[in-house]
Amino acid sequence: MINRKFILGIIVFGSLWGFAECIIGSLLRDVNLPAGAIMTGVFAIGLMTLSRTTFRQPGMQTGIGLVAGALRFFNPFGGCFICSAIAIMAEGLLFDLIWTGFSLDQKTTHTLTIQTSIGVTSAYLVYVGGYIITQILTPVFSSAGFYLENLIVFIPQILASGLLAALLGVATVPAVFALKNAHITIQDRLYYPITIGVSAFCWVFVILNTILIIGV
Amino acid sequence: MGKDRLLPILALIFLFIASSSSLYVYATQTTTDTLLLNGQHYTIDQLFSLAKPRAFNDSQYTGIALDDLMLKTGIGNPEQHTYTLKGADGYEKTVTWENLKNGLLTKDRESIFSDLPKAFRVKDIVIIEVN
Repeated sequence: MINRKFILGIIVFGSLWGFAECIIGSLLRDVNLPAGAIMTGVFAIGLMTLSRTTFRQPGMQTGIGLVAGALRFFNPFGGCFICSAIAIMAEGLLFDLIWTGFSLDQKTTHTLTIQTSIGVTSAYLVYVGGYIITQILTPVFSSAGFYLENLIVFIPQILASGLLAALLGVATVPAVFALKNAHITIQDRLYYPITIGVSAFCWVFVILNTILIIGV
Repeated sequence: MGKDRLLPILALIFLFIASSSSLYVYATQTTTDTLLLNGQHYTIDQLFSLAKPRAFNDSQYTGIALDDLMLKTGIGNPEQHTYTLKGADGYEKTVTWENLKNGLLTKDRESIFSDLPKAFRVKDIVIIEVN
Protein backbone atom coordinates (compact mmCIF):
# COMPACT_ATOMS: atom_id res chain seq x y z
CA MET A 1 0.00 0.00 0.00
CA ILE A 2 1.39 3.42 -0.96
CA ASN A 3 1.49 5.53 2.15
CA ARG A 4 -0.30 8.84 2.44
CA LYS A 5 2.86 10.65 3.43
CA PHE A 6 4.44 9.73 0.09
CA ILE A 7 1.39 10.86 -1.93
CA LEU A 8 1.21 14.14 0.00
CA GLY A 9 4.95 14.57 -0.57
CA ILE A 10 4.37 14.33 -4.33
CA ILE A 11 1.54 16.85 -4.15
CA VAL A 12 3.37 19.41 -1.99
CA PHE A 13 6.67 19.27 -3.92
CA GLY A 14 4.80 19.35 -7.25
CA SER A 15 2.70 22.28 -6.09
CA LEU A 16 5.77 24.24 -4.96
CA TRP A 17 7.51 23.60 -8.29
CA GLY A 18 4.40 24.52 -10.30
CA PHE A 19 3.91 27.64 -8.19
CA ALA A 20 7.52 28.68 -8.76
CA GLU A 21 7.18 28.08 -12.52
CA CYS A 22 3.97 30.14 -12.74
CA ILE A 23 4.88 33.06 -10.51
CA ILE A 24 8.69 33.32 -10.36
CA GLY A 25 9.13 31.97 -13.91
CA SER A 26 6.75 34.60 -15.29
CA LEU A 27 8.58 37.36 -13.41
CA LEU A 28 11.94 36.18 -14.78
CA ARG A 29 10.52 36.15 -18.34
CA ASP A 30 9.17 39.67 -17.86
CA VAL A 31 12.68 40.95 -17.15
CA ASN A 32 14.11 38.94 -20.08
CA LEU A 33 16.13 36.50 -17.99
CA PRO A 34 16.61 32.89 -19.20
CA ALA A 35 13.68 31.63 -17.11
CA GLY A 36 13.74 28.04 -18.39
CA ALA A 37 17.35 27.35 -17.41
CA ILE A 38 17.03 29.18 -14.07
CA MET A 39 13.81 27.38 -13.15
CA THR A 40 15.31 23.99 -14.00
CA GLY A 41 18.77 24.62 -12.51
CA VAL A 42 17.48 26.03 -9.24
CA PHE A 43 13.84 25.16 -8.48
CA ALA A 44 13.29 21.91 -10.38
CA ILE A 45 16.62 20.32 -9.48
CA GLY A 46 16.49 21.71 -5.93
CA LEU A 47 12.99 20.46 -5.15
CA MET A 48 13.47 17.11 -6.87
CA THR A 49 16.82 16.49 -5.14
CA LEU A 50 15.29 17.41 -1.77
CA SER A 51 12.30 15.13 -2.31
CA ARG A 52 14.46 12.27 -3.62
CA THR A 53 16.95 12.39 -0.78
CA THR A 54 14.10 12.61 1.73
CA PHE A 55 11.82 9.82 0.47
CA ARG A 56 14.33 7.72 -1.57
CA GLN A 57 11.52 6.27 -3.70
CA PRO A 58 11.79 5.89 -7.48
CA GLY A 59 8.77 7.23 -9.33
CA MET A 60 8.21 10.13 -6.95
CA GLN A 61 9.72 12.80 -9.23
CA THR A 62 7.60 11.63 -12.17
CA GLY A 63 4.57 12.29 -9.98
CA ILE A 64 5.96 15.65 -8.84
CA GLY A 65 6.47 16.63 -12.49
CA LEU A 66 2.89 15.67 -13.32
CA VAL A 67 1.50 17.81 -10.47
CA ALA A 68 3.77 20.78 -11.34
CA GLY A 69 2.96 20.48 -15.06
CA ALA A 70 -0.77 20.39 -14.31
CA LEU A 71 -0.46 23.55 -12.21
CA ARG A 72 1.57 25.26 -14.95
CA PHE A 73 -1.18 24.38 -17.40
CA PHE A 74 -3.66 26.36 -15.28
CA ASN A 75 -1.60 29.51 -15.72
CA PRO A 76 -1.63 30.41 -19.42
CA PHE A 77 0.66 33.43 -19.02
CA GLY A 78 4.36 33.95 -19.46
CA GLY A 79 5.79 31.92 -22.31
CA CYS A 80 4.30 28.87 -23.95
CA PHE A 81 2.15 27.20 -21.30
CA ILE A 82 1.57 23.97 -23.24
CA CYS A 83 5.31 23.67 -23.98
CA SER A 84 6.14 24.49 -20.34
CA ALA A 85 3.67 21.94 -18.97
CA ILE A 86 5.07 19.22 -21.26
CA ALA A 87 8.66 20.19 -20.41
CA ILE A 88 7.99 20.08 -16.64
CA MET A 89 6.38 16.65 -16.85
CA ALA A 90 9.28 15.37 -18.97
CA GLU A 91 11.82 16.84 -16.55
CA GLY A 92 10.28 14.96 -13.62
CA LEU A 93 10.45 11.69 -15.54
CA LEU A 94 14.06 12.30 -16.68
CA PHE A 95 15.23 13.14 -13.15
CA ASP A 96 13.66 9.92 -11.93
CA LEU A 97 15.41 7.91 -14.66
CA ILE A 98 18.81 9.52 -13.97
CA TRP A 99 18.70 8.91 -10.22
CA THR A 100 17.43 5.36 -10.67
CA GLY A 101 19.92 4.66 -13.48
CA PHE A 102 22.90 5.82 -11.42
CA SER A 103 21.57 4.14 -8.25
CA LEU A 104 22.01 7.43 -6.41
CA ASP A 105 19.58 6.39 -3.65
CA GLN A 106 21.91 3.67 -2.39
CA LYS A 107 24.29 6.04 -0.62
CA THR A 108 23.16 8.43 2.08
CA THR A 109 26.23 10.66 1.82
CA HIS A 110 28.14 11.87 -1.21
CA THR A 111 31.43 13.75 -1.52
CA LEU A 112 31.29 17.34 -2.77
CA THR A 113 32.70 16.18 -6.12
CA ILE A 114 29.89 13.68 -6.52
CA GLN A 115 27.29 16.23 -5.38
CA THR A 116 28.45 18.80 -7.97
CA SER A 117 28.67 16.07 -10.61
CA ILE A 118 25.09 15.04 -9.82
CA GLY A 119 24.13 18.72 -10.10
CA VAL A 120 25.72 19.17 -13.54
CA THR A 121 24.57 15.82 -14.94
CA SER A 122 20.99 15.92 -13.71
CA ALA A 123 20.43 19.64 -14.45
CA TYR A 124 21.90 19.38 -17.96
CA LEU A 125 20.16 16.14 -18.95
CA VAL A 126 16.86 17.19 -17.41
CA TYR A 127 16.90 20.61 -19.11
CA VAL A 128 18.11 19.45 -22.54
CA GLY A 129 15.90 16.34 -22.46
CA GLY A 130 12.84 18.36 -21.44
CA TYR A 131 13.57 20.91 -24.16
CA ILE A 132 13.86 18.22 -26.87
CA ILE A 133 10.75 16.38 -25.71
CA THR A 134 8.67 19.56 -25.72
CA GLN A 135 9.98 20.46 -29.20
CA ILE A 136 8.65 17.10 -30.39
CA LEU A 137 5.38 16.88 -28.47
CA THR A 138 4.15 20.48 -28.82
CA PRO A 139 3.97 20.33 -32.65
CA VAL A 140 2.54 16.79 -32.46
CA PHE A 141 -0.39 18.11 -30.41
CA SER A 142 -0.89 21.09 -32.77
CA SER A 143 -2.39 21.27 -36.26
CA ALA A 144 1.01 22.03 -37.83
CA GLY A 145 2.55 18.63 -37.10
CA PHE A 146 6.12 17.66 -36.21
CA TYR A 147 9.01 17.96 -38.67
CA LEU A 148 12.24 16.27 -37.63
CA GLU A 149 14.41 18.71 -39.62
CA ASN A 150 13.05 21.62 -37.51
CA LEU A 151 14.43 19.88 -34.42
CA ILE A 152 17.75 18.70 -35.88
CA VAL A 153 18.89 22.17 -37.02
CA PHE A 154 18.10 23.57 -33.57
CA ILE A 155 19.98 20.89 -31.58
CA PRO A 156 23.19 23.01 -31.16
CA GLN A 157 21.11 25.84 -29.61
CA ILE A 158 19.38 23.41 -27.27
CA LEU A 159 22.70 21.85 -26.19
CA ALA A 160 24.14 25.33 -25.65
CA SER A 161 21.16 26.59 -23.65
CA GLY A 162 21.66 23.80 -21.10
CA LEU A 163 24.98 25.31 -19.97
CA LEU A 164 23.38 27.77 -17.54
CA ALA A 165 21.16 25.05 -16.03
CA ALA A 166 24.22 22.80 -15.58
CA LEU A 167 26.22 25.58 -13.88
CA LEU A 168 23.31 26.37 -11.56
CA GLY A 169 23.06 22.67 -10.74
CA VAL A 170 26.67 22.83 -9.47
CA ALA A 171 25.46 25.05 -6.62
CA THR A 172 21.91 23.75 -6.16
CA VAL A 173 22.58 20.08 -5.39
CA PRO A 174 25.33 20.68 -2.79
CA ALA A 175 23.08 23.34 -1.22
CA VAL A 176 20.28 20.77 -0.87
CA PHE A 177 22.67 18.24 0.69
CA ALA A 178 23.86 20.93 3.11
CA LEU A 179 20.24 21.66 4.00
CA LYS A 180 19.66 17.97 4.59
CA ASN A 181 22.65 17.90 6.95
CA ALA A 182 20.89 20.49 9.11
CA HIS A 183 18.39 17.68 9.95
CA ILE A 184 15.32 19.89 9.82
CA THR A 185 12.29 17.66 10.34
CA ILE A 186 8.58 18.24 10.62
CA GLN A 187 6.77 16.51 13.46
CA ASP A 188 4.28 13.87 12.29
CA ARG A 189 1.26 15.70 13.72
CA LEU A 190 2.23 18.85 11.78
CA TYR A 191 3.20 17.10 8.52
CA TYR A 192 -0.33 16.72 7.12
CA PRO A 193 -1.65 20.22 7.97
CA ILE A 194 1.53 21.88 6.63
CA THR A 195 1.72 19.91 3.37
CA ILE A 196 -2.00 20.26 2.67
CA GLY A 197 -1.88 23.97 3.55
CA VAL A 198 1.15 24.71 1.38
CA SER A 199 -0.29 22.77 -1.58
CA ALA A 200 -3.67 24.48 -1.27
CA PHE A 201 -2.00 27.90 -1.07
CA CYS A 202 0.01 27.24 -4.27
CA TRP A 203 -3.04 26.12 -6.26
CA VAL A 204 -5.37 28.85 -4.97
CA PHE A 205 -2.76 31.56 -5.57
CA VAL A 206 -2.06 30.46 -9.16
CA ILE A 207 -5.76 30.04 -10.02
CA LEU A 208 -6.69 33.41 -8.46
CA ASN A 209 -3.78 35.04 -10.27
CA THR A 210 -5.03 33.58 -13.56
CA ILE A 211 -8.61 34.73 -12.90
CA LEU A 212 -7.45 38.25 -11.95
CA ILE A 213 -5.29 38.57 -15.09
CA ILE A 214 -8.14 37.36 -17.31
CA GLY A 215 -10.47 39.77 -15.50
CA VAL A 216 -8.13 42.68 -16.26
CA MET B 1 34.35 1.68 -13.74
CA GLY B 2 32.41 2.56 -10.60
CA LYS B 3 29.52 4.99 -10.82
CA ASP B 4 31.31 7.28 -8.38
CA ARG B 5 34.07 7.73 -10.96
CA LEU B 6 31.75 7.84 -13.94
CA LEU B 7 29.66 10.76 -12.66
CA PRO B 8 32.43 13.41 -12.58
CA ILE B 9 33.61 12.30 -16.03
CA LEU B 10 30.07 12.55 -17.38
CA ALA B 11 29.65 15.97 -15.79
CA LEU B 12 32.82 17.21 -17.51
CA ILE B 13 31.64 15.76 -20.85
CA PHE B 14 28.29 17.58 -20.54
CA LEU B 15 30.04 20.85 -19.65
CA PHE B 16 32.29 20.42 -22.69
CA ILE B 17 29.31 19.71 -24.98
CA ALA B 18 27.42 22.74 -23.64
CA SER B 19 30.43 25.06 -23.92
CA SER B 20 31.43 23.97 -27.43
CA SER B 21 27.79 24.22 -28.58
CA SER B 22 27.65 27.77 -27.19
CA LEU B 23 30.78 28.68 -29.16
CA TYR B 24 29.33 27.09 -32.32
CA VAL B 25 26.03 28.96 -31.92
CA TYR B 26 27.86 32.25 -31.33
CA ALA B 27 30.11 31.72 -34.38
CA THR B 28 27.27 30.79 -36.74
CA GLN B 29 24.76 33.49 -35.74
CA THR B 30 23.60 35.59 -38.70
CA THR B 31 22.32 39.13 -38.79
CA THR B 32 20.52 40.60 -41.77
CA ASP B 33 18.02 43.37 -42.41
CA THR B 34 16.27 41.46 -45.17
CA LEU B 35 14.00 38.45 -45.23
CA LEU B 36 14.52 35.77 -47.87
CA LEU B 37 11.10 34.65 -49.08
CA ASN B 38 10.93 31.92 -51.71
CA GLY B 39 14.39 32.82 -53.03
CA GLN B 40 13.85 36.60 -53.12
CA HIS B 41 15.18 39.16 -50.61
CA TYR B 42 12.71 41.70 -49.14
CA THR B 43 12.98 44.36 -46.46
CA ILE B 44 10.29 44.29 -43.80
CA ASP B 45 8.90 47.60 -45.15
CA GLN B 46 8.57 46.09 -48.62
CA LEU B 47 6.67 43.13 -47.20
CA PHE B 48 4.39 45.44 -45.20
CA SER B 49 3.57 47.38 -48.37
CA LEU B 50 2.68 44.15 -50.19
CA ALA B 51 0.34 42.26 -47.88
CA LYS B 52 -2.84 43.24 -46.04
CA PRO B 53 -2.72 43.92 -42.31
CA ARG B 54 -3.92 41.45 -39.68
CA ALA B 55 -4.43 41.76 -35.91
CA PHE B 56 -5.15 39.32 -33.06
CA ASN B 57 -6.32 39.69 -29.46
CA ASP B 58 -7.89 43.16 -29.79
CA SER B 59 -4.86 44.47 -31.69
CA GLN B 60 -2.40 43.18 -29.06
CA TYR B 61 -0.57 41.59 -31.98
CA THR B 62 -0.47 43.40 -35.31
CA GLY B 63 1.30 42.75 -38.57
CA ILE B 64 0.66 41.46 -42.06
CA ALA B 65 -1.32 38.35 -43.03
CA LEU B 66 1.07 35.52 -43.80
CA ASP B 67 -1.30 33.81 -46.26
CA ASP B 68 -1.79 37.05 -48.18
CA LEU B 69 1.98 37.58 -48.19
CA MET B 70 2.48 34.23 -49.93
CA LEU B 71 -0.15 35.05 -52.55
CA LYS B 72 1.29 38.55 -53.16
CA THR B 73 4.78 37.15 -53.62
CA GLY B 74 3.56 34.79 -56.29
CA ILE B 75 3.32 31.41 -54.60
CA GLY B 76 1.15 29.18 -56.79
CA ASN B 77 -1.12 26.44 -55.38
CA PRO B 78 -0.37 27.61 -51.83
CA GLU B 79 -2.38 24.82 -50.16
CA GLN B 80 -0.06 22.23 -51.71
CA HIS B 81 3.03 23.56 -49.91
CA THR B 82 4.38 23.67 -46.39
CA TYR B 83 6.23 26.75 -45.16
CA THR B 84 9.36 26.77 -43.00
CA LEU B 85 9.98 29.93 -40.98
CA LYS B 86 13.65 30.24 -39.97
CA GLY B 87 14.93 32.62 -37.31
CA ALA B 88 18.39 34.24 -37.11
CA ASP B 89 19.20 32.02 -34.11
CA GLY B 90 18.54 28.82 -36.10
CA TYR B 91 15.11 28.17 -34.59
CA GLU B 92 12.65 27.07 -37.26
CA LYS B 93 9.11 25.82 -37.50
CA THR B 94 7.22 24.33 -40.45
CA VAL B 95 3.54 25.17 -40.85
CA THR B 96 0.74 24.42 -43.29
CA TRP B 97 -1.30 26.75 -45.50
CA GLU B 98 -4.21 26.42 -43.04
CA ASN B 99 -1.92 27.70 -40.27
CA LEU B 100 -0.79 30.64 -42.44
CA LYS B 101 -4.43 31.70 -42.75
CA ASN B 102 -4.32 32.30 -38.98
CA GLY B 103 -0.83 33.77 -38.92
CA LEU B 104 0.77 37.18 -39.05
CA LEU B 105 4.26 38.62 -39.41
CA THR B 106 5.08 41.52 -37.10
CA LYS B 107 7.33 44.51 -37.83
CA ASP B 108 9.96 42.79 -35.65
CA ARG B 109 9.83 39.84 -38.09
CA GLU B 110 8.15 37.54 -35.57
CA SER B 111 5.48 35.01 -36.55
CA ILE B 112 2.31 34.77 -34.47
CA PHE B 113 -0.42 32.18 -35.05
CA SER B 114 -3.82 32.27 -33.42
CA ASP B 115 -4.28 28.51 -33.88
CA LEU B 116 -0.84 27.32 -32.75
CA PRO B 117 1.07 27.23 -29.43
CA LYS B 118 3.62 29.92 -28.64
CA ALA B 119 6.39 27.51 -29.67
CA PHE B 120 5.50 28.52 -33.24
CA ARG B 121 6.49 32.12 -32.61
CA VAL B 122 9.72 32.31 -34.56
CA LYS B 123 11.62 35.49 -33.69
CA ASP B 124 13.76 37.56 -36.05
CA ILE B 125 12.74 35.54 -39.13
CA VAL B 126 15.41 35.65 -41.85
CA ILE B 127 14.05 33.01 -44.24
CA ILE B 128 10.60 31.76 -45.22
CA GLU B 129 11.09 28.63 -47.26
CA VAL B 130 8.32 27.29 -49.48
CA ASN B 131 8.56 23.49 -49.58
